[in-house]
Amino acid sequence: MTKQSRDAIAELAGVAENPDEYIAQWKRDKNRKVVGLMPMNFPAEIAHAAGALPVVIQQKRTPITIGNNRLTEFHCGYTRSVADQAAKKELGLYDGFMLADHCIQLLGASDIIRDESPEVPMYFGQLISSMGDPWSREQILKKMMSFVREIENFTGRMIHESDLQNSIQLFNENRRLLRQIFDARRAGDVTFKPSELQAFVKSSMVMDKQEHSALLRQVLETAAARPSGAGLIKLHISGHFCHAPKTELLELIEDCGAIIVDDDLFHGTRYISTDIGESKAPIEALADWYLDRNVAAPCPTRVQHDVDWDRYLLNLVAESGAEGLVVLMAKFCEPHMLYYPELRKALNARGIPHVLIETEHEGIPVETIRTRIEAMLERIRRKEPSAA
Amino acid sequence: MSIENAVANKTTRLASTDAGRGMISAYWENIFTARERGSQVVWYNGSAVNPFFQAAGLEWAHGEAFSARLAAQKLEKPAQLAGKEYGYVDELCSYARTHLGCAVLAKNAQEQAQSGVVGLIDQKELASRLPAPDFFVNAYAGCSTGQQWDEITYRVFGKEVPIFNVSLPFLWGNKPDAGYLRGQEWEDASDYVSAQLYKLVEFIESMTGRPFDWDALRQNMTYIKRASELRREAMAMCKAVAPTPATYWDWIATIAHINFLPASQALVDYFTAVRDEIAMRVDQRIPAIKSERYRLYFDGIMNWNKVGVLARKFAEHDVAVVCGRYTHNAFWQEPHLINTDDPIRGMAQHYLLCPSNHGVQTLKYLTNRDCVDYGIDGIVFHSTRTCRAFSSPQRLLAKSAHEVLGIPSMFFEGDIADESFYKGELLESRLEAMLESIDVRRARGQLAIA
Ligand code: SF4
Ligand code: SF4
Repeated sequence: MTKQSRDAIAELAGVAENPDEYIAQWKRDKNRKVVGLMPMNFPAEIAHAAGALPVVIQQKRTPITIGNNRLTEFHCGYTRSVADQAAKKELGLYDGFMLADHCIQLLGASDIIRDESPEVPMYFGQLISSMGDPWSREQILKKMMSFVREIENFTGRMIHESDLQNSIQLFNENRRLLRQIFDARRAGDVTFKPSELQAFVKSSMVMDKQEHSALLRQVLETAAARPSGAGLIKLHISGHFCHAPKTELLELIEDCGAIIVDDDLFHGTRYISTDIGESKAPIEALADWYLDRNVAAPCPTRVQHDVDWDRYLLNLVAESGAEGLVVLMAKFCEPHMLYYPELRKALNARGIPHVLIETEHEGIPVETIRTRIEAMLERIRRKEPSAA
Repeated sequence: MSIENAVANKTTRLASTDAGRGMISAYWENIFTARERGSQVVWYNGSAVNPFFQAAGLEWAHGEAFSARLAAQKLEKPAQLAGKEYGYVDELCSYARTHLGCAVLAKNAQEQAQSGVVGLIDQKELASRLPAPDFFVNAYAGCSTGQQWDEITYRVFGKEVPIFNVSLPFLWGNKPDAGYLRGQEWEDASDYVSAQLYKLVEFIESMTGRPFDWDALRQNMTYIKRASELRREAMAMCKAVAPTPATYWDWIATIAHINFLPASQALVDYFTAVRDEIAMRVDQRIPAIKSERYRLYFDGIMNWNKVGVLARKFAEHDVAVVCGRYTHNAFWQEPHLINTDDPIRGMAQHYLLCPSNHGVQTLKYLTNRDCVDYGIDGIVFHSTRTCRAFSSPQRLLAKSAHEVLGIPSMFFEGDIADESFYKGELLESRLEAMLESIDVRRARGQLAIA
């Protein structure tokens, strides 16, 4: 890997590590507004089209202190961290907040932001989560139009169709570049460490897309393919919505003698799964994107009878040749807790070894996790001779 | 005298609600025998869409209500165990976990019946007596878990049972005109849900194969509206009166009736009796808690395992828990919205008025309003472990009541249907601390007046 590639990786990792520094610099340079977005489905393209910087608000690693007086300890780590950041007045870089997802915990955290800074605009346009009803698409279209209106009001700038088309193209291109990296990994090229992959996606949620894509191109141009190591067990990492799993955890999993070949994490392939059609009217294309996305990467926060997260996972596993699966569940994440038994049933039916690991904001019980991962890897190894 | 008796002697429970318990058992017994009678059974959660089912000649089983009943009767364990074996994590909403456990048991029972194997499941176990559904209706407001829970139940039954979703938008309050029962957001949401209810009727028609009986729906809503008016009238009688003639625990005993029992003259008679008994108590100055010294507000969904324990605990400390979010801001609570000739919009609006379907601004308004109206000294927050919908706004509500009204609060940990989360000792010490702080405030107030 050349120095140019290494530098680009370091820059992306720096933004992933400290989004606030990037955001502050961007504001100084551009003198434009920054919109804080709640995960996972807000169409950031619309904010971009109005000249704002859309940023998916990230969980911080700092210990939760005042936030504990705002949300209970049995909310997911992401919402607790956001509540803590709001209470500590650490969200001051954002000129407004937008959200589209109806997760009751997410709304709880958003209400805390609203309570802490009532003067900062916030808009919740609830995207229908029942995807297959006859009225779903019309509802989604209405919401997309309301996002355009709200962002126009917020930035004071009209959004023209050409602005949206331009933003859609830039975002699609960024997703394509990222997918190139993830697709290569699925095909056996492990050039990048899991922590680097996470940094690529996380920084994409924060940075100006053109800038991000330029750095990604630098990374890609000079990085040489590295095939996955022999003797390592191939694993798929699944789940973990809204916030990134700790990179130490991903490293710990690989340290046990495994290699992560694929994932469906929000800070992974889920975020980049779906492009927005460039040949139709942008609002229509955005509505279809929201619908298509749940087919491309089914999410348990949505309800769609003919789309199965479990079936999708089995397909991914078959494609990547993963020999086992680690379900990473953000502790207290209700949609994940509800869907997990369906995954378990499907994986068991196919004889795919898997382990459930719940993550918390506060830290990683390293030894317990190591023991559980090693036990699973051992099970996989024991199976190997008969499988061969 | 034993402590139990001493506490019992402090409390005068409403005779009318005690008398109404039989209506609940009769309702459930009816559900359990639905199959034998050849009736179609619909499962639903959340909103009270039961008047539609009743009008369509169906039997209806409300998931949360059944989980609550199991927990109140200490019969929840077999269902929760079945859920756990199926893979549900203990931190999942315990209503959902219990009900999904019932789904697993009901499905097993159904399969065994079809394969001719009988007796594998102990039919005496209440959890397994719930008949499997012919179809589902999902109409869950506020909490995102509600919709996902039904979708998963649909999957537990192998996607073979039809399901209909009513999407209920959260009343977030984006615009300055937004507020309780007002603003464009409220009007738009009311229209949106009304339109879906007409589609629900079409779906029900397709399930029953019969035209929907609109007259029956109008009749049902006439009974419900009257029952609700009586309930609200009775509640209002507790506002200005100290000692209060009825407590929160009395209102808890009326939830099943107003929320899912059949709409009928019997329902109206039941609430008439409740209203009359309270009126009589007001006249004769009969207190619900004989030595009422403190009036508290209860926030949180009920802890069904511990209703009796909690009622005794507060009475022991001369506390009258007078009202609460779950009892007073839910369950057909705005009967004036119901037009009995054309009930759809009023029904839609009530489905939107679930007490966890409001942004915190509206919840602050409702809580502080009730604290003033009912002469409240402090708020008890049931920090409900597996119900984030209720617990999310609680800290902000406590902060607001303190800042706006100077009212102190306390939190205690428990859960809707899983008693392992209940922390009794903490409740005791925090309650004592809060009552002391109320005493101090009063003493200061008296000194200031003096
Ligand atoms: S979807 Fe899960 S991780 Fe995301 S906010 Fe909701 S509970 Fe938290
Ligand atoms: S978490 Fe609470 S509001 Fe949500 S489904 Fe469960 S009981 Fe209902």
